[in-house]
Amino acid sequence: MSDIGKVRVRLPSSIKPGDVVRVRSLVIHPMERIERDSKGKIIDKKYLYINRVVATYLGKTVATFDTTQSVSENPTFVFSFRATDPGTLTITFYDTHGGKYEGTADVKFV
Amino acid sequence: MKDHPITRRRALTTLGALGLAGAGGLTLQAPRRAHAQTLGQHETVDEALKRIFGARPMKDGGGIVKLDLPLIAENGAVVPVSVDVTSPMTPANHVKTIYVVADKNRIPVVFRTTLGPEAGQAAVGATIRLGETGDVRAIVEQSDGTLLAVKREVKVTVGGCGG
Repeated sequence: MSDIGKVRVRLPSSIKPGDVVRVRSLVIHPMERIERDSKGKIIDKKYLYINRVVATYLGKTVATFDTTQSVSENPTFVFSFRATDPGTLTITFYDTHGGKYEGTADVKFV
Repeated sequence: MKDHPITRRRALTTLGALGLAGAGGLTLQAPRRAHAQTLGQHETVDEALKRIFGARPMKDGGGIVKLDLPLIAENGAVVPVSVDVTSPMTPANHVKTIYVVADKNRIPVVFRTTLGPEAGQAAVGATIRLGETGDVRAIVEQSDGTLLAVKREVKVTVGGCGG
């Protein structure tokens, strides 16, 4: 999993000031499932999965996701925000092993 | 190797803990960990709903909340879900949190989104896992504390939760 933590953020190609913009973000992450031993008992270990996603724009948090292992592998997250000024949208993913992965997209007006 | 004091697991756990302590603002640290603990647990859906919402009344969100899911999910490992809520999203009246709950999953609470008025529109989506055929619910908490719930049944051909 050398690609782990790769983040892709997609914005619509043309944004006008004041628009509500829908963002798609993807992160490459294994999101480990619960494993069981031969007796069906849950193996107690620190599973590696993303448990928090934070999106900020112009220094303000626009959306956060608290996630569990019921979220798929290589998950995508979709959310919206109101684009008021040019700036950077940052999406940060945190996983249970302390990993922190960041993706950014520039909000520009045409 | 038998007498080695530092096992791989212990080393990884320590590293993880250190990394968590380093990530993000220190003030937010405690609640963030607590959330992660309380959300993803092995329990039935009734236990989960009781734990999170207590005895708060839930209204039917039929006309306001739109939960979009495939009718038949051929692969339970990746199921796209989206929740759209009709809301003005003003500071006085907006959608605060959206929960997505899969009834038949061993960990029923899939994710929780926290939004603010800056979001402009209460529309979120994600790809989730579904263990078997069952209901998926979206529970929306508005800024005045009202809870709105909708659910949809999804048929799952191949379960995606493993274990």
